[in-house]
Amino acid sequence: MGRTVGIDLGTTNSLVAFFDAATGQPRCITGPHGSALCPSVVSLDPDGTLVVGEPARRRLLTQPERSIYSVKRLMGRGLDDAREELKLFPFRVDPDSKQVIRVRLGDRVFTPPEISSYILRELKSWAENFFGEPVDRAVITVPAYFNDAQRQATRDAGRLAGLEVLRLVNEPTAAALAYGLHKSQRGLVAVYDLGGGTFDISVLKLISTGEGDIYQVLSTNGDTHLGGDDIDNALLAVSREEISARHRVSLEGHPESVQELRKALVAAKHALSGGESAAVRVLLPGGAAYTREWTRQELEALIAPIVERTMSPVRQALADAHQKPQAMEEVVLVGGATRTPLVRRRVEEYFGRAPHTGLNPDEVVALGAAVQADILEGGASQRGMLLLDVTPLSLGIETMGGVVAQIIPRNSTIPASAQDAFTTGVDNQTGIVVHVLQGERELAQDCRSLARFTLRVPPLPAGMARIEVKFLIDASGILQVEARDQRSGEKHSIEVQPSYGLNDAEIERMLEESIEFAEEDFATRQLIEARNEGESILAATHKALAGEAARALGASQRAGIAEAVEALREAMKGSDYKLIRTRIEDLNRDTGPLAEAMMNQVLHATVEGKKLTEV
Amino acid sequence: MSATHTDAIATCWSCGAAADAGHFCPKCGTIQRLPRGTDHFRFLGLPRKLWIEMGELEQKFHQLSWKLHPDHFVRATEEERELSLERSSQLNDAYRVLRDPVARVEYLLAIEGMRKEGATKQQAPPELLEEVFELNEWLDELRGARAAQQDGAETAGLRKRLEDAARGFEERLADVDAQLMAAAKEWDATVDSGDAAAGRVVLARMNEILNRRSYIRNLVRGVTQELSQ
Repeated sequence: MGRTVGIDLGTTNSLVAFFDAATGQPRCITGPHGSALCPSVVSLDPDGTLVVGEPARRRLLTQPERSIYSVKRLMGRGLDDAREELKLFPFRVDPDSKQVIRVRLGDRVFTPPEISSYILRELKSWAENFFGEPVDRAVITVPAYFNDAQRQATRDAGRLAGLEVLRLVNEPTAAALAYGLHKSQRGLVAVYDLGGGTFDISVLKLISTGEGDIYQVLSTNGDTHLGGDDIDNALLAVSREEISARHRVSLEGHPESVQELRKALVAAKHALSGGESAAVRVLLPGGAAYTREWTRQELEALIAPIVERTMSPVRQALADAHQKPQAMEEVVLVGGATRTPLVRRRVEEYFGRAPHTGLNPDEVVALGAAVQADILEGGASQRGMLLLDVTPLSLGIETMGGVVAQIIPRNSTIPASAQDAFTTGVDNQTGIVVHVLQGERELAQDCRSLARFTLRVPPLPAGMARIEVKFLIDASGILQVEARDQRSGEKHSIEVQPSYGLNDAEIERMLEESIEFAEEDFATRQLIEARNEGESILAATHKALAGEAARALGASQRAGIAEAVEALREAMKGSDYKLIRTRIEDLNRDTGPLAEAMMNQVLHATVEGKKLTEV
Repeated sequence: MSATHTDAIATCWSCGAAADAGHFCPKCGTIQRLPRGTDHFRFLGLPRKLWIEMGELEQKFHQLSWKLHPDHFVRATEEERELSLERSSQLNDAYRVLRDPVARVEYLLAIEGMRKEGATKQQAPPELLEEVFELNEWLDELRGARAAQQDGAETAGLRKRLEDAARGFEERLADVDAQLMAAAKEWDATVDSGDAAAGRVVLARMNEILNRRSYIRNLVRGVTQELSQ
């Protein structure tokens, strides 16, 4: 069995962390580029190589049509409910997309869970390199306000990456775990989490009991389409308008320039968190330069409506927890976007206290995930920590007239369950259709459809068949359904077809493909290694042939080496790593006498200075 | 679920020792199967009474959470994981329902077979008939004005009357809640005395009070919604 890690699969950046038993603290793992932040960007090179993280982020500028960022915004969503995102983000959606969106990278088509799985795989390899051991289990965080479909999509991504997902943990709750460990505060705590693409607010009660500390979530609320990305888009809209007015240039059809501009604006946005003004300068298609000075005041005027949008979920969460803002003993800020001074001021104004900013807002969620992973590995009592989370949205079933009957209210502690009995309405009816929904609205059409399934019953007079259905939301916030014949007590198997998710068969197929893909990855790595080795042996041979020892070689030996060198060069032009290996071995054999001559020479030189008895 | 489906569990599924009604086997400590139809009171080891000390309930909830939560069973067998899920979900459901005084009464009526889920009567309680009639007339008037695009200065007085009426009904709610709490006390007394017949009478009355309560709540909500448009 391999190691277990905690993963923050973020909209903009993703991180992997583990619980360091030596220090008793969680710790983030740094990647090959020297940072613990892995940009959540995936790019597909023309030769079919998938690139993830920092190198993929650079490719956003060079090959935007082969690269994708912020894919988290598409997780668990259908084409219809992602229209808004598609207007704002350069996703290249495959026209054949049905319930599950498919995006194009170059000439290949991927689902959002697949793209996310490449990010997870990258983090998995960071951790494996760090431990020198395989990693096969993970706790992955999700926005607290993620619905069932978005959670399932995240779990699917984990599975596709070869990880057993032990638990999905809500991001603000994970942050609270890391916070609680860091500071032994007890009482009411609000976590305000504004990330790249999602906003969450959670109200928790931290309780000390005889067995240990309980982190009980009282309520949660949020907006899964609100984050730092929206600030970037607002800046981008202003700049594009100015560019078209001032320079008469449209960036339509110039995705590279759009990415260049976005990057410059993001840098300016970051600079304005500390400084009062920041300059943007970008070269436009056609050669003109767009320059723009931003002041913090201007930025704040632009983003005030975005910050204000976070307040309505905040108010709702406090109302659901039956708490007043002043009752919070601490307000913890999480997510890169909470570095924005305006956000901090607004939070302070609302809660009437300065927020806690002692934790690194980028890392805290991953650290909390690592703590939860450790709890699961060792048992909550052993760690003395227990997390009691809630379901963010009410669960209901459709009844007559399209009205939703709520069966599990929002903010119920999970696992939570509900039972309902179903019967037939007409004689000899053999199926009862059950439609499960998530949301707070009264009509089914306004809620999120989770699943539809048919209960099979034997033909009987109306009302005679009675099927009892148990709906259970597990500790990851994912729905399970079980049906039972009320008289016989027999369990029914139910095929739940997710409304907006991948079914098991699709996941199986993707898993198979990903294994094939992993083999392709393996072949690519082998090829690179073989070529590198070829390069160094060619260089060494060249050097040796120019040296003293080469004089000892006969003409036929020289000719043999020259021939082997040529053959290796030829093989290295191709992509057959096995052939390259064979040619390397051939050359090694042919240069054997040369190596021997060199060895003798060295030995000779050493022995010369000494008496024979000393050798 | 009705009480007829309760099948008592005699022995531990894991070691075969005689089982008590606890969450774990007294002999081997393995988490036990849950008899079908176990109600929330029995699950928490509480009498079927409506007065519950909140501090004790919370403490019980925390103590059982430590023992039953799926976090402890990640490495356990599949059967134990399922039992943990089943028991911890009932623990959470029980705590959610029993800590809310009104939900607690509704739940008691349901397990006593006195209240059908979703079958609340939509008839106006007789003593409210007149006021409800008047209220509905005003609401029709407001809707009519809105349809004629005259919902401005013309309807200010009407809106004020509706607001006052809604406030009046909200005050009634406080009375209804007081009646409910008094009935709850009576119920507990019948449990203590073992007088089942008197208990049924109290249950029927509580059912009536709850119907009135939900009727008034819906009324207030309807008015508030109409006024906010």
